[in-house]
Amino acid sequence: MTDAPSDLPNSAAVSNGHASLLSENPMMKKRNAAETRFKLYGIFALTVGLAFLIFLTVSILRNGIPAFTQTVVNVEFTLTQEQFDEAESKMLKTAAYTDIFVNNITAQFQERGLDVEFDNKAIERLLGKVGGDLRSFYRENPAMIGQPANFELSTASRVERYLQGKLTREMVVDGRFLEAADLDVVDAMVGAGIIGTAWDWNFITGTDTGVDNPGGAGIGASVIGSFFMMLVVLLLSLPIGVAASIYLEEFAPKNRWTDLIEVNISNLAAVPSIVFGILGLAVFIQFAHLPQSAPLVGGLVLTLMTLPTIVISTRASLKSVPPSIRDAALGVGASKMQSVFHHVLPLAMPGILTGTIIGLAQALGETAPLLLIGMVGYVAREYPDSLSSGLLDPNSAMPAQIYTWAARSDEAFFEKAWGGIIILLIFLLTMNIIAIILRRRFERRW
Amino acid sequence: MKDMIPVDRKMSTMQDSKISARGVQVYYGDNHAIKDVDVDIADKTVTAFIGPSGCGKSTFLRCINRMNDTIDVARVVGDIRIDGEDIYDPKVDPVQLRAKVGMVFQKPNPFPKSIYDNVAYGPKIHGLARNKAELDEIVEKSLRKAALWTEAKDRLNSPGTGLSGGQQQRLCIARAIATAPEVLLMDEPCSALDPIATAQVEELIDELRQSFSVVIVTHSMQQAARVSQKTAFFHLGNLVEYDDTDKIFTNPQDPRTESYISGRIG
Amino acid sequence: MSNTVILLIVLGLGVFGFFAGRARALATAGGDRRLLHSLPNYYGANVGLNTIVPAAIVLFVWSIVQPMVINGSVSGMIDQDAIAEGSSLGLIMSDVRRVAEGLDVAVAEGVMTPDVASDIRTDFSNVREILAEVGVALGSGVTAETLQAAQGYRAMAGIGNLLKTAVVLLISVAGMGVTWRMITRDYRARNVVEKGIMMVLIGAASIAILTTVGIVLSLIFNTYEFFKLYPFTDFFFGTNWAPSFSGRGGSSELGILPLLWGTLYISFIALLVAVPIGLFAAIYLSEYASKSVRSIAKPMLEVLAGIPTIVYGLFALLTVGPMLVGVFGDGGMLGVNWMSGGTAVMTAGLVMGMMLIPFVSSLSDDIINAVPQAMRDGSLGLGATHSETVRQVIIPAALPGIVGAILLAASRAIGETMIVVLGAGAAARLSLNPFDAMTTVTAKIVSQLTGDSDFSSPVALVAFALGITLFVVTLGLNIFALYIVRKYREQYE
Repeated sequence: MTDAPSDLPNSAAVSNGHASLLSENPMMKKRNAAETRFKLYGIFALTVGLAFLIFLTVSILRNGIPAFTQTVVNVEFTLTQEQFDEAESKMLKTAAYTDIFVNNITAQFQERGLDVEFDNKAIERLLGKVGGDLRSFYRENPAMIGQPANFELSTASRVERYLQGKLTREMVVDGRFLEAADLDVVDAMVGAGIIGTAWDWNFITGTDTGVDNPGGAGIGASVIGSFFMMLVVLLLSLPIGVAASIYLEEFAPKNRWTDLIEVNISNLAAVPSIVFGILGLAVFIQFAHLPQSAPLVGGLVLTLMTLPTIVISTRASLKSVPPSIRDAALGVGASKMQSVFHHVLPLAMPGILTGTIIGLAQALGETAPLLLIGMVGYVAREYPDSLSSGLLDPNSAMPAQIYTWAARSDEAFFEKAWGGIIILLIFLLTMNIIAIILRRRFERRW
Repeated sequence: MKDMIPVDRKMSTMQDSKISARGVQVYYGDNHAIKDVDVDIADKTVTAFIGPSGCGKSTFLRCINRMNDTIDVARVVGDIRIDGEDIYDPKVDPVQLRAKVGMVFQKPNPFPKSIYDNVAYGPKIHGLARNKAELDEIVEKSLRKAALWTEAKDRLNSPGTGLSGGQQQRLCIARAIATAPEVLLMDEPCSALDPIATAQVEELIDELRQSFSVVIVTHSMQQAARVSQKTAFFHLGNLVEYDDTDKIFTNPQDPRTESYISGRIG
Repeated sequence: MSNTVILLIVLGLGVFGFFAGRARALATAGGDRRLLHSLPNYYGANVGLNTIVPAAIVLFVWSIVQPMVINGSVSGMIDQDAIAEGSSLGLIMSDVRRVAEGLDVAVAEGVMTPDVASDIRTDFSNVREILAEVGVALGSGVTAETLQAAQGYRAMAGIGNLLKTAVVLLISVAGMGVTWRMITRDYRARNVVEKGIMMVLIGAASIAILTTVGIVLSLIFNTYEFFKLYPFTDFFFGTNWAPSFSGRGGSSELGILPLLWGTLYISFIALLVAVPIGLFAAIYLSEYASKSVRSIAKPMLEVLAGIPTIVYGLFALLTVGPMLVGVFGDGGMLGVNWMSGGTAVMTAGLVMGMMLIPFVSSLSDDIINAVPQAMRDGSLGLGATHSETVRQVIIPAALPGIVGAILLAASRAIGETMIVVLGAGAAARLSLNPFDAMTTVTAKIVSQLTGDSDFSSPVALVAFALGITLFVVTLGLNIFALYIVRKYREQYE
């Protein structure tokens, strides 16, 4: 029966005529090569996946960090009392200040041998309303008159793009925002060493601007909008989700109605988010006439989306509490409901909270439903002033704001979109880390 | 305690013993599971390993086909030779070894493939058949030897998992012998089977010993007495006594063996 | 009174009832709480709940039903023949509502007195201008009929609100009184309260069903409206997508086939990327990788799943698109001119594939781990190498589960919105070239519903038809996938 081995060529035979284990079977080479190849495919696939992640991260950081910085002009300026009085006596006061400024800068250039001609209008195109800013400063701080003061003036976004190399002289079309000659002034400022970069707080705290001022756009208002939405989601989905889970896990009889509910929940967890957007549009806006683009509506839609996630994770937490706890409570004479609310629920709380935080993190990043309830294209120009206006006044949310910026035709907004992504990801990272810490600290091993 | 076989017998059996082990120790992490085992297993015989639970019989069995390699924390020290060749030699590929030393497990584990594919799997990967006709022949021979051919020949393409427990185990035996091994290791092959299936498998083992050296680990002393010619008694990781089966069961030398046989320990 | 005020009053009554009930319970027990059946708070809660809950439910239902009833009767007032060509009852009613709201605002701001608002006629004053003064914009001039209807609307709403307030408050007080009187020492307050809580729990669980019902109804109603205005054979079998925004959607071509094609093509490319990478990564991690590698690499892959899709969308639009153009476009590395713009099927497909990798890999990992060790032992015992075991025993055994995972990933890909909106473009096209821009069902849903069209026009309603198609397809895939995975698990348990 055993005839195959001794027929194989090149195999050294052992004393009893059988193939030796110490010599290599020729097939083994091929098989081992196949084994190595297979392992390599696996390693390759894993590496590609991780490389994607790294590529994405690098891309985000590279494109987004410039949103947090802005180019500024550092000027040391001394306003004498006479200059102040003279300017205040004129009819066009801000223009007077701008003149003083222009003279000062020209003097600084000439000290360094840079010969550039420019006028008030050029300065205003490059630095905005310098005269007005100077005037308000000195009127609020009269003590600074006669003293040297350092000003950090922010430049127009086109200046920044010019310095980054994204805007070249050939691309400039003389117009309201910039003239080619202005770039000479910028070069001179670079030569004089008065241009630098500074942290742009306005991006984090400011509001969105219209399409003509990309540099001034900020994400602050959207963060507040997102905050109100998450508040609604938390206040609605946590109680409802926990209540539903308690019913399904502890009290529901095994009948068709319960099966139907469970099937529904697992299906809802897999429905595309845009369908929820349609639901929100049809029910909350068309039927209930709630205001469009309001964080309340966004919160309601996201609640419906987050409920299945919370129910699933809460059920898992409730399941993990051992039956002996429930039995012990019943044995002392507690009613079923008391045993659940006094004993099981508190023990399952850490898991429930973790699941909720993760659900909220997912909801924070959702965009599609928000677009359908009206947040696309909405320019969030101001902060809400009260709780009810925060909920009911139209506002934007972080993901919708990022989308709006990305969809504008001015490329200067793209940088803001990347910066917005960084802020969004920071929030998500924080929430996930909190969830992991909670889980580690409070997880019990029964 | 070493086994009590007289020295001259030991010398002669080394020549024609199929498997010989000297000073084998096995460690699972810090746990010293097999302590200093010496044994010679003869060809064309059924050797039974008996002993109470957890005494190391299965562990030692798994050393012979290097299945312990798949467990990270297991460490084997000592000399195990098949046909005089050290199987733990670095030049030896365990994959090749396992074609030569087949194994049947406690719970029947046929692959979720057809009966034909189950049996053909081993020969295919080892390249034992040059064409389909040869493969068919190997499959038929193995199924016949495993006493499954008559029941299976009309449904070779139906799934192996559709057979009864006893049939599945015989399928696993057919699968193991299809690679033309020289040694067949069986780890409590009947413990998951009903008495009728057990009887069928035991009958099979008796026929198989005409072609292979069979080592069977068994919980049942009665089974060992029925099927084996030589028996080794393990206790707490030591090989206590190794002798002809009838000697062990009627006139054991070591008091521990005697206690186990008479049911005082176990 | 506004709903909020009513609700606050009811809540206040509830709190009062709580304390009253509690006091009475203690009183019936002669001050000794041990003699009561339940804890005193349960008696109080009983009263409080009966005060608040029925009233709140009535308030809620009334607020929903009232507009519908008023709408219905005011619609009856409008002359059917007067409906202009190209308009519909729905549009007229929305005009009526807007005028009514405008009149409310005008009265509230003092621009009009209530009497004037009820009696004003279009013959004598330009209502549109007056309303514009208070910030209410109207599309066209206000016709006499619309104004009359609006005034009737206001009148009915006023009566309705008055009735609502009275009824709700009455119910609240009645509830409190009746329950309060039922309190005795032996009254099983705790059981009653717990039954009430159980109702709440059941209600919460039913919200899942309500959501599904809501989705299905909202989709079906609006799709029905759509198919009244546009033939459904043209929708399902039309190969052209060219909505015209002139007037009320006069000559639009709204065929779904190019959109379906775009969706399927992009999903196909995404799966082409995600399945091999995800599957092989899962195999390596579960069969070959050491514990330390696994504990680092697995979470890192999971991170890809947690990144919001807007990030991927932006990544596709601004990084991957230009990169691909740099290779495949004019003047690019390969010197061909296959790709004209950054937004294309290839761009969106690649990025979506990236997003789906952890999906496939995580599910496959679970499935591979579910294959019993006995199977691996059997194969290794026969002398198979590790890769032979994986390829010829484990994967075939895990195949149904893996197919289920792929189907779930496909369903996710089909329903994805942001990546295709930003990365694939808006052109509806039936083309085989993966470097062309092709749009999908989801992208068009967004664009049709966020445009400026009126919600009753076909170009907006078509989005609902698209939505229901999407819903049915993804639901079908999900159910099928779960069915396969469950059958597979049964094999091993």
